[in-house]
Amino acid sequence: MTKVQEKDWEPKIIAFLCNWCSYAGADLAGVSRYQYPPSIRIIRVPCSGRVSPNMILDALKNGADGVLVSGCHPGDCHYISGNLYARRRFSLLKRFLEFIGIESDRVNFTWISASEGEQFAKVVSEITERVKRLGPASRLVKEF
Amino acid sequence: MSTINARIEQELKSIARELLDSKEIEAFIGYKKGSMPMTMTPFVARSIEDVEKLCWNSFCVLNLANYLPQVLRSFEPPRRPNEPPPEGPLPKVGIVVTGCWSRNIVVQIQENQIERDRIVIIGISSRGMIDKKKVYKMLNGHEVTSVEEKDNQLIVKGPDLYEEINRWDVVRDNCKTCVHPDPSIYDVLIGDLKGERQIRNRFSQVEEIEIKTPEERWNWFISEISSCIRCYACRNACPLCYCPTCFVDDSRPQWVGKSKDQVDTALFHILRAYHCAGRCTDCGSCESVCPMGIKMRILTKKLQKDVLELYNFEPGLSLDTPLPLSTYKLDDPQDFILTDIKMGDKK
Amino acid sequence: MKDFTISKSQFLDFLSEFKKEFDIYGPNETSKGFYDWVAIDQIEQFEIKQGLPKSSIKTFLFPQPEILFEFSANFKDPAAYRLKEPDFKEKKIILFGVRPCDARSISLNSMPYSEDTYFQKRLEQILVFGFLCKSVCSTCFCSWVGGSPVSMDGMDIAVFDLEDAYVLRPITKKGEELLNRAGLDEATDVEKEAFNRLVKENSNKNQSNTADILKSKDLFDLYNASFWQELSDACINCGTCTFLCPTCYCFDIQDEVLKGKGRRIRYWDSCMFPLFTLHASGHNPRGDKLKRVRNRFMHKLKYFPDRFGPISCVGCGRCIRECPVSIDIREVLRQMLET
Repeated sequence: MTKVQEKDWEPKIIAFLCNWCSYAGADLAGVSRYQYPPSIRIIRVPCSGRVSPNMILDALKNGADGVLVSGCHPGDCHYISGNLYARRRFSLLKRFLEFIGIESDRVNFTWISASEGEQFAKVVSEITERVKRLGPASRLVKEF
Repeated sequence: MSTINARIEQELKSIARELLDSKEIEAFIGYKKGSMPMTMTPFVARSIEDVEKLCWNSFCVLNLANYLPQVLRSFEPPRRPNEPPPEGPLPKVGIVVTGCWSRNIVVQIQENQIERDRIVIIGISSRGMIDKKKVYKMLNGHEVTSVEEKDNQLIVKGPDLYEEINRWDVVRDNCKTCVHPDPSIYDVLIGDLKGERQIRNRFSQVEEIEIKTPEERWNWFISEISSCIRCYACRNACPLCYCPTCFVDDSRPQWVGKSKDQVDTALFHILRAYHCAGRCTDCGSCESVCPMGIKMRILTKKLQKDVLELYNFEPGLSLDTPLPLSTYKLDDPQDFILTDIKMGDKK
Repeated sequence: MKDFTISKSQFLDFLSEFKKEFDIYGPNETSKGFYDWVAIDQIEQFEIKQGLPKSSIKTFLFPQPEILFEFSANFKDPAAYRLKEPDFKEKKIILFGVRPCDARSISLNSMPYSEDTYFQKRLEQILVFGFLCKSVCSTCFCSWVGGSPVSMDGMDIAVFDLEDAYVLRPITKKGEELLNRAGLDEATDVEKEAFNRLVKENSNKNQSNTADILKSKDLFDLYNASFWQELSDACINCGTCTFLCPTCYCFDIQDEVLKGKGRRIRYWDSCMFPLFTLHASGHNPRGDKLKRVRNRFMHKLKYFPDRFGPISCVGCGRCIRECPVSIDIREVLRQMLET
């Protein structure tokens, strides 16, 4: 595949960030001028509990090399319990996707609060590194 | 005819007759004989004459809880989907269930699809249902014209065939690893309760796949679903799949394409199995009805294993325990969260 | 037209010679353990078993999905913003081991599809080696619906099984042309006689007046009959019967767009699905299960004969074998005839 041969291949990672914590955290990272790879494409959702497995798989189907879902820390959700439901949902989903053979580093979940700008930059760098090692996604990518 | 099943059938018929006669129920959901050997047809008995057609044997594999919400609805006066039900007592329906189906009824009650006081449940502790695909496999393509069931044997006859098969050899896989054959909810019990079965290696089918590499697992998954023709028999036979509009039929946005494309089919199976997480009682209907022999039970079994491990929950055993994905605990395990893992570690 | 003969042991090799020109498919055990169409490379030993492959030959006539045209919005693409028909350079196909019922489905499907260019193109590409049936299964009922175990309708070459040889009789010009250049031995008189005898003995099995009886019945008597309720109670509206049936031909069309490229595809649809008749307004004339089940059987056994002549069923028995709740079309037919 030509993508891997290019030394500067930048993966495309779709990030679902919850509006109140993670998105604000990402904003803080930008404002504080923390550097992180440009591989990440952010989608703002009201709460991590809104993210359904349909969306994560849709991202993979459309060619995303990696997916990140990030929400508030448990106990700090703006809607009280959204991220607690999400935690259960995602733990099952991650194990299930690993079971059918999707590499475990492609789909990631984190808790990032609004004040954790540096952590956000670190998380994105880490995930980009891991996905780069895996190479472009090929398993659930729809092509004509 | 197996004597155990013959006794159950007789008792079932007399109970159903009594219930219909006394007008306690409007209809009774059970089985009648199908035209093919080893296949039973689900049947809604609406009168005393109909009760005579009711049957019970070890070929009753389809989950009758699948029909319950529709049949209950059909006895109500017609109303729009969002309108509340009319006032006053509504007609009741009777149903015969074994272990896994009764747990599906519990889940349906918890999810507000049916009301407990509108159903009369006849419970039978299951001895295991027979997988006719296994029987056909043993017969190497010979044609079967009749199958007689004895208590521990099957006598299979065909134009050039006479075979005696040990019953337990052809019992379905999910029945063999079943821990709860007793109905967890019932109004009338036929036969005795057997209690929990002790099974080693309940999840051996799942563990076999788990030890493979990601590459091997993906290849196994793709080859398993490669024959899928998207007939949706698995979805329609499942008592949990009652959404008025299935995610497959969503068009804005369209999550899953409709054709046989490999990625779309993979997404369909992943999402359908995932939608049953924490609710699936492993009744095996999905695998039994699949015309193309896809073993999709392994996917739901993996989710069952995870739910048991993570949240110590088995669906349908009690009306009071909430379903795992509609509740939470503050100290739920979160080892999959990236920020909990030390950053910079190679996984 | 001349008859030809070939020994059974040489049959697969004979077919393999045409591999460059044709894609060759025949029935064999698949990795899943059932009997279905596979490419000839995967067939080592050829043995026509009694019984039918799981899918009908409509998988070759209307593939799932079939691309109708493609388009792209990528302005670097020279064909951008124009509808591009797919290249139809597909190799011709030989299907061998096709039973008379499956072969007959070709002519039945051609009736509603007489103006469908995609279907007609694919039909031209296909060469059918039909194998006549010497015995019938318990689920076969071809003679009841206008076919017979020795019908050669829809075949290009009819093959008759003699103990250790096959007799090949060309039925159409396509078949004759292929056999003439194959270099096979001509069939002996004894062999031809055996073939003719089989055909004669079995053609009187055709009870073809079923279609006439159904046509003569009043439509509303059948529509309002009372047996539909019990029949549809069991149905789970899965679509298995429609997808495996050789004469069910309904489809749906959809555009799929991904990253600036798109295509319009046609794929199998089933009247058993609730969405089949859903109107854009939200109204669904066949929202009830009973209406859908009744519609399927009425279409195959009443509306189609009223419009085109024959019954839209070839008696292959796939729906009877595969229906998860054992709904039997023979039972329905019997009840319709008795109404």
